[in-house]
Amino acid sequence: MDGFLIVVWAVRLLFLGLIYLFLARVIAALLRDLRAAAREPGDRPGRLVVLASPAGEPPAGQSFGLDVITALGRDVNNAIVIDDPFASAEHAVLTYRGRSWYLEDLGSTNGSYVNGRKVEGVSPIGFGDELQIGQVRMRLERAATR
Amino acid sequence: MTAPAAAPSRTPALPRLIGPIRPRPRWVELRLLLLVAAALAVGSISLNATVNGEFRLYDVQGIVIYVAGLLVAHLAQVLAGRRTDQILLPTAGMLGGISLLLMERLPQDLVTQSFFGTTLTLAEVQLLWLLIALGIATTIGIVVRSDSWLRRYKYTWAAAGVALLLLTFVFGTEVNGQRLTLDLGPISGQPSELLKVILVVFLAGYLSENRALLVEQDTRVGPLRLPPLPYLAPMVVMWAIALGIVVVQRDLGAALLFFGVFLAMLYVATGRFSLVIIGLILFVLGSALMATLFATIRTRVDIWLDPFSDPLGAGYQVVQALHAFARGGLLGVGLGAGLPEIGGRPPIPAVHTDFPLAALGEELGLLGVVAILGLFLVVVERGMRIGAAAADDFRSLLAVGLALVIGIQAFTIAAGNLKVLPLTGVTLPFISYGGSSLLANAVIIGLLLALSDKGVEPPPPPRVGSSRRWFRRGAAR
Repeated sequence: MDGFLIVVWAVRLLFLGLIYLFLARVIAALLRDLRAAAREPGDRPGRLVVLASPAGEPPAGQSFGLDVITALGRDVNNAIVIDDPFASAEHAVLTYRGRSWYLEDLGSTNGSYVNGRKVEGVSPIGFGDELQIGQVRMRLERAATR
Repeated sequence: MTAPAAAPSRTPALPRLIGPIRPRPRWVELRLLLLVAAALAVGSISLNATVNGEFRLYDVQGIVIYVAGLLVAHLAQVLAGRRTDQILLPTAGMLGGISLLLMERLPQDLVTQSFFGTTLTLAEVQLLWLLIALGIATTIGIVVRSDSWLRRYKYTWAAAGVALLLLTFVFGTEVNGQRLTLDLGPISGQPSELLKVILVVFLAGYLSENRALLVEQDTRVGPLRLPPLPYLAPMVVMWAIALGIVVVQRDLGAALLFFGVFLAMLYVATGRFSLVIIGLILFVLGSALMATLFATIRTRVDIWLDPFSDPLGAGYQVVQALHAFARGGLLGVGLGAGLPEIGGRPPIPAVHTDFPLAALGEELGLLGVVAILGLFLVVVERGMRIGAAAADDFRSLLAVGLALVIGIQAFTIAAGNLKVLPLTGVTLPFISYGGSSLLANAVIIGLLLALSDKGVEPPPPPRVGSSRRWFRRGAAR
C-alpha cells in the first residue's frame, strides 16, 4: 500500500512538473521573441509611407524612417524632400513629443491635410493617419512592423 | 538627419483575398501542444489512481477527443499558412484541458443537459463547448484577414451591445438574485460575456479615432490636467452604464470588468494617469452609493470583510473556499482527492462556475494555482506584444484590450475566490463551466490570432469619424 501511495504522489508531482515544464517552454519562447524584437532597429519613433505621388518624387511605396523632428518640403535642405509643384519650400514639420506625433504646418501656400482635414497650426496625429502635402499622400506607421 | 530607410521598399500591395494555399509549419506550437497532451495524460492518470486506484487514463474518450481537437486546430492553421502567433493556442489549450480534468472530477450530475434525445452530464457538456470554442477560435484565426468590419461599424457594434444589454434587462431571468441569463427558446446564455468583446471593439475604435485629441491638454482642475471636457463625456456614459448594470442586474462582476477594461484602455491610449485617478474616484463613489442603496451588494461587502460572522449562511461559500485553499497547502492533495463530498454534493455549490480556482487550489495546491495564474499572464503578455507590433492604433488597442479582458476577468474572480476582493459572479476564463464564457473567450483568442499575423493587409485609410466632427463643432463655438 505504501508503494502505491508513493507512485500516486510521483504521478501527482509529475503532473505539476509537466505544467511547469510547459510554462518554462512558453516563457523561453516569449524571451526569444522579445530578444528578436529588441535586436531590430526599432529606435525610430515611426515611419512615413508614401501612398500616392503624382509628380513621382518621392515615389509611391517609399518608406522614410522618422527622427524626432522631421522637416518636409520642396527645398533640398528638408529631411524629406517632396518635389511636388503644390508643395512649399518649407512646408511642414513632424515632431514626436511625449507619446504622440504632431504635424505643424509652416504657413505653406496650399496647406497640409490630416485625414482630409486642413491643419491649422499644430495638429496631433496618430499611427495610421494619412497626411497630404501638395499632391503627395503619406501614412504614418509604427517603425517596428516586421 | 533623416535618411530614406532602406531604398524603395515594398509597395503597399492590393489586399489578396484568396491566395494559393501554402502550408507553413508551426513547430513551436506543435511542440507545446505535445507537452499539453503529455501533461493532460499524466493528470488523467493521477485522477484515476486517486479515484479508482488504477494507473490508466481516467476518461480515455474525453482526453483523446480533446487532444485530437487541439491537433486538428493546429493542422488547420498549418494548412492555412498564416504567420500567426504560436503560443496562444497551446496556452489556452492547457487551461481548457485543466478545466476538462476538473469537470471530469466533479460530481457529474451538477449539470445535465439534453441534446437531441441524448443526455449529457457536466464533463461531456464542457467537452462539447471546449470543442466548439476551439473551432471558433481557429476559424476566426484563419479566416479573418481584414479588420474593417470591426473598425467601420463600431457604432453599430455598440448599438448591438446596448440592445443585448437592454434585452437582458427586460427579458432576463434571475438566478441567485442576479439577472444575467437570457433565455431565448432553446438557447440560453449570459450576454455580458459577449458584451465584453463588443465593448473592447467599440473602445478601440473610439479611442484610436480620438486618441490624438485626448492627448492634448486643455483643461486644468487644480493639480490635475484634463483633456478637453467634451471628451470626458464617454467616461461618464461608461460609468453610468456600469452603474446601470449593477442596479438592474445586480451583476457586480460585469460592472467591475467593464469599468476596469475601460480605464485600462483609456490609460493605454492616452498615457495619462490623471484619467485613471478620476476613474477610480468615480468608481469608489459609485461603489459607496451602490452599497448604501442595495442590500445584496452590502451583503457581498459584509461577507468579504468577515465571512466567519455567518459561516453557515451568507458566508458559506467563501468560508468553504478558504478551507479548500488551506487544505491544499503547497502541493495540493492530488487530483480527485479534494473536496470530500457532503451528502453527495461538493461543499461549494457553485464550484464549477464561480469557484474552480478553489477546487484547483485544494487539489493542485499553491504551486498549481501559481502555474494557472502564470498561464493567464502568458495570454496577457501575448496580447501586449501583438498590440506593440500592430501597424496602427486601432489594432494595437484592440489586441491590448482583448488580452486585458481575459487578464482582468481572471484577476477579478481569482481575487474573489481568495477573499482579496468581494466575490463577484464572473467566470474564470477557459476553466469555468459554461458555454457563453468559453465561446466569448474563444472569439477573443481567435481575434488575437488574426491580429498577430505579420504581413496581413495594411490598415484601411482612416476616415474622420462622426464623433470627431461633432466635438470639433462644439469646441469651435
